Amino acid sequence: MSEMKKIKNLKEFSTSADRFEGANLLCPGCAHSIIVREVLNATNDDLILSASTGCLEVCTAVYPYTSWDASWIHIGFENSSTAVAGAESMYKALKKKGRLKQPDRNPKFVSFAGDGASYDIGFQWISGCMERGHNIMHIVLDNEVYANTGGQRSSSTPIGSSATTSPAGRVSYGEKRNKKDIVSIMAAHNIPYVAQVAPNKWKDMVKKIQHGFAVEGPVFINAVSPCTTEWKFDPKDTMNIADLATDSLVFPLYEIIDGHELNITYRPKNIVPVEEYLAAQGRFKHLFKDEYKYLIKEWQERVDEKWAYLQRREEARV
Amino acid sequence: MAFDKMELRDIEVWDGNFAAAQAMRQAQIDVVAAYPITPSTPIVEGYAQFLADGYIEGEFVMVESEHAAMSGCIGAAAAGGRVATATSSQGFALMVETLYQASGMRLPIVLNLVNRALASPLNVNGDHSDMYLGRDSGWIQFDAYSPQEAYDLNLIAFKVAEDHDIRLPAMVNQDGFLTSHTAQGLKPLSDDAAYAFVGEFKPMNDMLDFEHPVTHGVQTEEDWHFEHKARQHNDLMVKVLPKIKEVFADFEKISGRKYNLVEKYDMDDADICVVCMGSSVETAREVASEMRANGIKAGVVGIRVLRPIPFFEIIEALKDIKAIAALDRSSPNGAAGMLFNEIAGALFNTDSKALLSGYVYGLGGRDLTKAHLVALFKELQANADAGKITTQLQQFIGVRGPKLAYL
Amino acid sequence: MAKKGWDEFEIGAMLRTFDGKIDDIAATRQEDRAYSQNSSYTASVADWRLIKPIFNKDYCIDCQFCWVYCPDVSIISRDKKLIGVDMDHCKGCGICVEVCPTNPKSLLMFPEQADEETEIASWPKKDEEEA
Repeated sequence: MSEMKKIKNLKEFSTSADRFEGANLLCPGCAHSIIVREVLNATNDDLILSASTGCLEVCTAVYPYTSWDASWIHIGFENSSTAVAGAESMYKALKKKGRLKQPDRNPKFVSFAGDGASYDIGFQWISGCMERGHNIMHIVLDNEVYANTGGQRSSSTPIGSSATTSPAGRVSYGEKRNKKDIVSIMAAHNIPYVAQVAPNKWKDMVKKIQHGFAVEGPVFINAVSPCTTEWKFDPKDTMNIADLATDSLVFPLYEIIDGHELNITYRPKNIVPVEEYLAAQGRFKHLFKDEYKYLIKEWQERVDEKWAYLQRREEARV
Repeated sequence: MAFDKMELRDIEVWDGNFAAAQAMRQAQIDVVAAYPITPSTPIVEGYAQFLADGYIEGEFVMVESEHAAMSGCIGAAAAGGRVATATSSQGFALMVETLYQASGMRLPIVLNLVNRALASPLNVNGDHSDMYLGRDSGWIQFDAYSPQEAYDLNLIAFKVAEDHDIRLPAMVNQDGFLTSHTAQGLKPLSDDAAYAFVGEFKPMNDMLDFEHPVTHGVQTEEDWHFEHKARQHNDLMVKVLPKIKEVFADFEKISGRKYNLVEKYDMDDADICVVCMGSSVETAREVASEMRANGIKAGVVGIRVLRPIPFFEIIEALKDIKAIAALDRSSPNGAAGMLFNEIAGALFNTDSKALLSGYVYGLGGRDLTKAHLVALFKELQANADAGKITTQLQQFIGVRGPKLAYL
Repeated sequence: MAKKGWDEFEIGAMLRTFDGKIDDIAATRQEDRAYSQNSSYTASVADWRLIKPIFNKDYCIDCQFCWVYCPDVSIISRDKKLIGVDMDHCKGCGICVEVCPTNPKSLLMFPEQADEETEIASWPKKDEEEA
């Protein structure tokens, strides 16, 4: 294994030479590219990347431009994980056969996909890749909605959110189902590393990505990606929303090692009420009508319960 | 080399599946990503066994669906190495999305398509529905009529597909069960001769060249998409058939076996002929010879390469024929048959006065018997004698119930 | 980039990021890379902006929050020091200003047509309330 890149602090991190370029077509204030930069800058090793169809893909490889400085492939909506797993298999084959052009490199194989491409249409492909033990990392850019196609609900869309296919209306509060717990599902594959990350906690992110690159075998990362367009907040507030997400514990930051050892990696000093997180986003605006306020209360209870559960799991070391 | 060569006899008794697996082994494929489906499964099982026995070095990725199989093949091919897989029928249908992506990215994957009917109703036996489903996907399509040909055409497919002027994926079709599970004596090449023929894989635009990063699978909208599709079509229309002819000639030199874009049998002085594909070609040849014994000058045209369609070779083969039968082993579902349309399209602007009729046969593995073909040749002769088509243009043969004829 | 005809580009709609080979990309700064005309690095999204950040180095503590949270690789840091904003790639989202911890801020948003020197000369003073 290659030596891990030393990143003690942000100043040191800022000496990284980015391998992702601007003048891509992502919305101003999009968290996707912040996450991508933090991931790619976490290593100096070579990268083989893939992306599923979605905002990231459609905004970073529009002919005749590419925003990628490492080899990158897009096939379809459902198969970025399998695409990079195929490349990883070829790497192993050519390594065995002594046919690599630069045999001394230690490439990292990373697949990016949205929540639609991971929780829904690509679910089976990812599960297959995790189960087969490919040495790859799959990263979900989780903005809880099909943003690229204009805001339809996915199985990551949280209850009460207004999405175009589960809109809030005169007699509806929007999405009726709770978000799918993909982190637990992936951990149940008993893979070496599963983690939830957020772009505002860059150090936690880098540590987890480096851990993921260091282990042998599949890694699954769920990254919260606040979406200025579909969550309906001002582009300048992306990091503020991410802070609310992690500090309200709506997106708790934790990791699961080898399918069982759960560690909470961030404990907010001041836990923010869920209500503040919801109030900052247009997609939840309707929940503040009198008749729906009970949903906010229920939401707080769910977050408290999950936080208590995570702490129990962490303590139990099982 | 960290694997052993296999000593083969001059004549081996292999079925079509094992013949394809052996060719894949001899080509020293780097990655196979595959998912099992009848009747193609033994091909990738064969590869897995060769790997387990140390007769090949590579990666076998047993994925969770055919869509993932082709997705993995695409990722592996883009990474830069020799890639192949196999499938049939429903699995092929599930793969269709990725077939277009493989060809659009110009990745030279070889797919063994062991032809089988498409549900519903479900059926595991051979017809050409899956082959026809892939015909606009931008792949080169070869058709093998026997296990020997399945073996030969696999080796040929790698050499054509991987050529840097071509860089297009290729399918090798063979009939489910009739070819894939029928053991016949065939003459393999030695491991060394086969590998020397296919040649070492030469990477191009490979993702694993870290000094030259590439972006594969871009978005192109109305300002670029047409040009890229035009480029792909141009290369299929202009470059592929000359390359195939060249590789056929090279193969003949080392094997003595001669292949042609269309395979003509007794066509030199024929009055009537059938045009068909798959194992039916061999049956039709046998019956045509018997017809000649009865004074009917019958011939057979087998389509060896379905895509790109050998348009001018079809015209040439049929130029002096009085009556032609196009035999389609796939339900056209609301149209004339595919071969009927291809032949009609080829002959329409020529001086040919041929009478063309279409037959749909053999769906879901229904036998095409010699009796069917005898009746068919007689019908063609009647057409030729009458100077007009004496039946409807499209007839179903071998199906129970009242006669089905249209157009 | 000029729109080429169907016979003028590489097959498979494949794009290369760099002209020629690149040896150790993770150790090569952007200004030292031979980007091809197909890299979006060579393109500009400056016309997306309605407002733009102006950087006042007098107050900057080089914390690098703006560098890490810039979605558009537009905060230029070299040797752990912030040296400016890449105005070809900045889309004007304003995240850099939001995450700037100094008082007064070292980055502020202004209308696209604002003059840098003028704005720096009249930079806001320390906000005593916040302090």
